[in-house]
Amino acid sequence: MSTTSQKHRDFVGEPMGDKPVTSLSGIGETLGKKLEEQGFDKASVVLGQFLLLKKDTELFTEWLKDASGANSRQARSCAQCLKEWCDAFL
Amino acid sequence: MPLSEKSNEEISKLLAEFGIKHGPIVDSTRKLYEKKLEKAMETAPVKPSSDKTFYREEEEEITYITYRSPIKQEGHAEAVKRRFHNELDGNRESDHVAEPPIQFANRTANHSVAHKPIRKSGGSMWKVVRLLLLLAVLAAALYYAYIYLINNAENPFGIQ
Repeated sequence: MSTTSQKHRDFVGEPMGDKPVTSLSGIGETLGKKLEEQGFDKASVVLGQFLLLKKDTELFTEWLKDASGANSRQARSCAQCLKEWCDAFL
Repeated sequence: MPLSEKSNEEISKLLAEFGIKHGPIVDSTRKLYEKKLEKAMETAPVKPSSDKTFYREEEEEITYITYRSPIKQEGHAEAVKRRFHNELDGNRESDHVAEPPIQFANRTANHSVAHKPIRKSGGSMWKVVRLLLLLAVLAAALYYAYIYLINNAENPFGIQ
């Protein structure tokens, strides 16, 4: 899709392994730090939360906004990224 | 009992009652679900689990809840937004982007959680019936008063 960012394509293109939480699209330095403070230090831990919320992007978006202070666009970008990763690798 | 003191199971049961789809209630998800429940309880204080129809005369307005699929809307909004922002900031986060259209979409999403409205047409039926009863009583009273007057007028000396 032409509307997705390079970061999004990079993340969705391969298994996430031990990638840091900031490798998720929509999650930059600031949000990454906030997430790490709450124990979400790896992208895979955030994926865990996404799975706990039954891959529901709406619920996940709401959670991410609450947990990290992300705005709607960032949160949805992250949710979309995880969703597509799941579609490809789960 | 406040939501925060309820057990995970009770929270789960409440979510089911309000028709909110949810995954497991654990430490990391609980806060989110408590918030959702609070919102749902505000908009719908009566538990939808019972099948009784409640008649209330105080509130006459009927709330129609439109079920939309907010995901599609958001998806569209996102696509539009992305087109604007992609060139500008790519992956970098910009914390200060205001997003009114998306906020709106979220609100409709919350509404979709609320349960079906209570039927209140019965309430107005009762009002009509009461009004008719009142009229009947009034008519009866007037009739008796009239008869009394007629009797008095016809034979004022009847008693003597």
